[in-house]
Amino acid sequence: MRWFFLILAIAVVATVYAIGPRGVKFSDPPFELFPDMDHQYRVNPQKPSGFFEDGQGSRKPIEGTVPVGFELPHAGNEADLTSDLDFSRGDSYFDTGLFGDFYGSGYPETLELDAAFLARGKQRFQITCTPCHGNSGNGAGVVSKYWAIPPSANLIDARVSAMPEGQIFWTITHGKGLMGPYNGVLSVNDRWAIVAYVKSLQAAAGN
Amino acid sequence: MGNIFPRWTNLLAIKVLLCAGALGTCVIAVAWYSWTPKYTRVGYMPQQPIPFDHSLHAGQLGMDCRYCHSFVEDSLHSNVPTAQVCWNCHGPGKVKSDSPKLEPLRQAMDENSENYTGKPIEWVQIHKVPDYAYFNHSVHVNRGVSCVECHGKVNEMPVVFHAEPMSMSWCLDCHRNPEKALRPLDQITNLDWTPDDLDQDDFYSYVSAQTGKSAEDLKKGDEGKEWGQDLIGSHLQMAWDVHPPQDCAACHR
Repeated sequence: MRWFFLILAIAVVATVYAIGPRGVKFSDPPFELFPDMDHQYRVNPQKPSGFFEDGQGSRKPIEGTVPVGFELPHAGNEADLTSDLDFSRGDSYFDTGLFGDFYGSGYPETLELDAAFLARGKQRFQITCTPCHGNSGNGAGVVSKYWAIPPSANLIDARVSAMPEGQIFWTITHGKGLMGPYNGVLSVNDRWAIVAYVKSLQAAAGN
Repeated sequence: MGNIFPRWTNLLAIKVLLCAGALGTCVIAVAWYSWTPKYTRVGYMPQQPIPFDHSLHAGQLGMDCRYCHSFVEDSLHSNVPTAQVCWNCHGPGKVKSDSPKLEPLRQAMDENSENYTGKPIEWVQIHKVPDYAYFNHSVHVNRGVSCVECHGKVNEMPVVFHAEPMSMSWCLDCHRNPEKALRPLDQITNLDWTPDDLDQDDFYSYVSAQTGKSAEDLKKGDEGKEWGQDLIGSHLQMAWDVHPPQDCAACHR
């Protein structure tokens, strides 16, 4: 009996020492006591899949096809079909900011320009544009405080203020200079909302 | 015929019971302590292919969570950013583009890199809901539940770790008392927000606009109550008509 309790005490101390307290940082995948159906044979968002040759669960549309609800770019012009991501945009001013080869000015007719639209633009601007262009759009975002990289455009100066809406939309979509494209992060609607908010910043700055 | 059982057997049954009881208690205590997500998941801090520092990006630089997790408001899945999003700031000639830590990014994006593969960066998922539970980010984020409620103060984590147990009872704690977690919609991604940051008059006029009750009546009803999360949360719960489901089918479809 004495021996039993002695061994038990040692075992308890050893176990407590081995498992440690809750909340300790560790890097191996968490232990799962009952993993039943926790990991089902299906593809979760952004997860890999062994089913496909390249191991990616997220699939691009098969070459030469277009998802429902999207348009082919420049329909009829086969040479333009090489860009496999461009299918998501139609040819309209709303989708491109362009009329033919020219930047359009003004907003597409399908948009309802109201206070909620502008508020949406402000919110998205402050999420996506502020780090580089600054809260007021003056090009002095937080990035310029810490790193000596070429300055971001001042969105409220005379040069950008003179740009038509379509050009600003096009720039958000495709990027320009060092700025990358933001078409993968911002929906078409949100891009127009940001254009509207940038225009309001310019108006507030007197341009 | 003498006694079959020697004297020492008199106490044997009691001793065996005692030992078994002690052993059982210890096993149960250890299991109670460690066979729970509070032990198995909290603290999970895997190494990522790029040591992305949330405390730098979201904390020091003050970037919004949605700069990278851009579709959390629209989707049930909060997306990990594409390499393009990283590349927008860390591409050639931009911030820290030569850093050796960014090698996986260059492999994914830089066609001039010698190790270019064009394959996505393989980030390690930290927070995982079992496949039989269907969690929807957008419904929570659009109804005043902040990121911080489930993910902890990510803006203070140099390396992100699993901060909450994310067990079923933990989910239900909040579904039963949603007022503990609701906050104004424009503060969802402000992980440092506290009820004291809120302007009381603004808040009452917002609630009054949502519910149709006058702000004065609301204020009068709250006299003597302490300004804090419970007060704000219960008003917002009423204003938005928040009734988190507690039936099985809510999450297990």
